[in-house]
Amino acid sequence: MEIVVCIKPVPEAETRLRVAPDGRTLDPEGVKFVLAGYDESALEQALLLKESLPGSKVHAVAYGPAPRTEEVLRAAVALGADLATWVEGPPGVGGDPVAAARALAGAIASVPHDLVLCGKQAGDDEAGIVPPALGELLAAPDFGSVVDLRWDTSASRLTFLRSTEAGGERWESPTPCVIGLQQAWNDPRTAKLPNILKSRKATITKRPMESAPPGPRSEPAKFELPPPRTGARMVEFKTPEEAAQKLVRILREDAKVFP
Amino acid sequence: MVDFSLSADQESLRDLARKFARSDMAPHAAECDRTPRFPEEIYRKAYELGLMNLNVPVEFGGSGLKVFEQCLIVEELAHACGGMTTSVIANCLALEPILLGGSPEQQERFLKPFCAEYNFASFGLTEPSGGSDAGGLQTRARREGDHYVLDGEKCFITNAPHASLFTVFATVDPSRRTKGITAFVVPRTARGVSTGKDEEKMGHRASSTSTVRFDGVEVPVNDRLGEEGEGFSIAMRTLDQTRTPIGALATGIAQAALDLAAAYSLKRQSFGKPISEHQAIQIKLANMAQAVHAARLLTWQAAWTIDQGGKGTLESSIAKCFASDSALHVADEAIQTFGGYGYMKEYPVEKLLRDAKLTQIYEGANEIQRTVIARELLRRYA
Repeated sequence: MEIVVCIKPVPEAETRLRVAPDGRTLDPEGVKFVLAGYDESALEQALLLKESLPGSKVHAVAYGPAPRTEEVLRAAVALGADLATWVEGPPGVGGDPVAAARALAGAIASVPHDLVLCGKQAGDDEAGIVPPALGELLAAPDFGSVVDLRWDTSASRLTFLRSTEAGGERWESPTPCVIGLQQAWNDPRTAKLPNILKSRKATITKRPMESAPPGPRSEPAKFELPPPRTGARMVEFKTPEEAAQKLVRILREDAKVFP
Repeated sequence: MVDFSLSADQESLRDLARKFARSDMAPHAAECDRTPRFPEEIYRKAYELGLMNLNVPVEFGGSGLKVFEQCLIVEELAHACGGMTTSVIANCLALEPILLGGSPEQQERFLKPFCAEYNFASFGLTEPSGGSDAGGLQTRARREGDHYVLDGEKCFITNAPHASLFTVFATVDPSRRTKGITAFVVPRTARGVSTGKDEEKMGHRASSTSTVRFDGVEVPVNDRLGEEGEGFSIAMRTLDQTRTPIGALATGIAQAALDLAAAYSLKRQSFGKPISEHQAIQIKLANMAQAVHAARLLTWQAAWTIDQGGKGTLESSIAKCFASDSALHVADEAIQTFGGYGYMKEYPVEKLLRDAKLTQIYEGANEIQRTVIARELLRRYA
């Protein structure tokens, strides 16, 4: 099975984000970008399918600027992706998800693909638009919030569970299709040191930015950091009884939550 | 041109070590220290990720890293737990004599099967009667035909209770002092090899330490590293390679202490404001930061010197000595920043002091490092 996995470099969770001076973008200076969240699950799921279906290949595809996009692709190769394609995108953090889907679809359409796996949404903007947009652009069925994806060899179909508020929905789909992953069978693996060293020398196929990319359908109006939180009070106490008495007094007399 | 930036390759190695340290080691550090416990599941994962036999060439199944890259990894691991780091990197020390003194045939025969699986090896130099005076070791090796017979005892041997392989230093003639010392590779399965009880230690409690006895152990001549009398040189050249990563280990402990103290100082209030706003604490933190930076840079420079093909004896002794003294001092100041809480086992800083202490003692006590530094220094003025 030819499995394409779309991944996106996102700021590491511990990074302190700053708004750029234009107020409409994030400042990438000093931000560490990583492969994270649902994309890690998508890649893990791809590797699990590859391991269960001999002869399969995993092809990681990412859209974005240098050097972060190339770095997440190397991370994917270190984890076990066989091929990596970098679709060059404009600098900056974030961007129009539909433009990203168009760029990715162009790259995917030109390579073999039985299954396109994505994280159900990106680890940073959490837009969740790329997987359904890819389905439209590639004229393939698409499904989101998928967990526990398996290949049914006898029926030549994918079977999977969609996680919903109420529980789960059992689905099956022919290939090719686009799947937005919520969770793989396993916790995502960690790349081994020798594979990291090998990935540094791996070939990353580069697709240059389109000369006249379609204009964005959406762009952020303004970024601002949440205001610092105020009003927290530390209550010192020696015994749980004292803590409860002090809290009740504060709730009654200061906050007036209780009469 | 001097360049202190890391390459993307080096950063990716450091990221791996950081991820493993934070998600696999750190959550268990306090428990393994308290119990104490030798966390096999963590060590096994370290092996699987390629973090255990860092200095062994790739062709023999190791990771084939230079000393600089080893240091990047060791600092990250030690940030999470000094004791676990000691056990993870002990194979580097134990296997280095085979890399330095072993024939190609011995390297193939010992290293390949060893590195192909999760295994521990131990370096056996120190004896109950002396550590720093390595030339005076008492373990005897008597030649009998095609083999030697080893008799004696080694002590404070890291990972010994779990080791499948030992590199052992013994003398063929005590009257020849250093010229009689000879290195051997001894499998644990050899008859007459036994290890003592797990020592109860002040720190590095996730690591395991014991004596190793050799009672009439027959070692084939084929398993001798180098010639008779070359053992002392092999041991000293081994320590020249492995001393610098101990500087990195101490730097990791010191960085952890600084991180904890700085974060705590921003939260802890006294006299109506965070203690980070008191100059007394600011000066403490500034001095701690200086020590950590200097320790790291000395370690990097020593590693760089060795990787450029230099001997690095002076540089690595300075790095190990300074970084370990700094680690003790920074951990001490971190406890002071925490005040009474710092003295409590419920908080993580007192462990750092106990772990830092060992870095002043093992792999060449700092007194020996200073002797070496003075010798190298005075040679330049003589």
